[in-house]
Amino acid sequence: MDTSRELEATGGSIATGELVHVDREKESVAQRTARFERDAMQYTSQLYAAALRYTKNPDDAQDLVQDTYAKAFTSFHQFEPGTNLKAWLYRILTTTFINTYRKDQRRPLISDGEVEDWQLAASASHTSDQGKSAEDEVLENLPDGEVKRALQEIPEEFRLAVFYADVEGYSYKEIADILGIPSGTVMSRLHRGRKLLRTMLMDYAKERGIGGSNGM
Amino acid sequence: MECNEVMHALILFIDNEIQDEIQVQIFQSHFEECLQCLTEMEHERQVLTRMKSLLADECCEQAPEDLQARIAQQTALLAAQMFSPTQIITEYRRTETTFNGETHIEIETTHEIRRDFPLS
Repeated sequence: MDTSRELEATGGSIATGELVHVDREKESVAQRTARFERDAMQYTSQLYAAALRYTKNPDDAQDLVQDTYAKAFTSFHQFEPGTNLKAWLYRILTTTFINTYRKDQRRPLISDGEVEDWQLAASASHTSDQGKSAEDEVLENLPDGEVKRALQEIPEEFRLAVFYADVEGYSYKEIADILGIPSGTVMSRLHRGRKLLRTMLMDYAKERGIGGSNGM
Repeated sequence: MECNEVMHALILFIDNEIQDEIQVQIFQSHFEECLQCLTEMEHERQVLTRMKSLLADECCEQAPEDLQARIAQQTALLAAQMFSPTQIITEYRRTETTFNGETHIEIETTHEIRRDFPLS
């Protein structure tokens, strides 16, 4: 992980090099194209990494990123310079994904009971010390790629919330804007997504005998 | 503040999503008094930090070079289309209706902007 990525993960700060003061009324197509190439093209890898969380396969992820850039360029005049360009691109990525890749496989959205559901799931309890140290040991000894594999296996709505919060470091409000859902829903999805992820990793470790010294 | 309230809202505390300073202080004074909740919070925070670092290391795939090239090409093409000449076609439609000695005149105007917009 390089430092610029780490810095960005701490909040929606504006990346260096983005033009902040632009008179969009007077801007020519050539100027806009240059500004787009300069400001938006630096995020292709991050958009590609996000797209892989949506589509789960590299070919579709590439198409999704390319379509996102087409939409972003044709509506670039609507982007408010000085605001968070990467988050704006993620928002377009989300709508593009919903409109093109999920059109055929419409499925019911999560029920209205979602928020109550997470509260039940969180049924306030303290875990045992033994459980805690077992979990610490598992997380220290996971083979490479295991967390990513687990993330790809959890349901899409949870996967995306976890990605934006825990990889990109966005706040609930920013994630809500990107995914087009209320902040409360972000919290419930994030909570359940992280829980699922941890359960999967613990189950995996149990099968492989990782963290077994704590009597798991 | 009761332990179960603290546990319910723990995710908000750990994610720094509690905006109200007074609320944050209420949490903090609970942690000073309750070792069990403090241990729980520290464990959750530690696990989350570890998970974040594992996720960040693994979910940072690089975009293939040919994808970058295709996007650059696409941008150039779309920009060229924006330069392409546009044609404005204006149509007027006048409808006159006489009924029971009363005449209604309706004039409709449409402007159509035509431009080549092939997408591939």
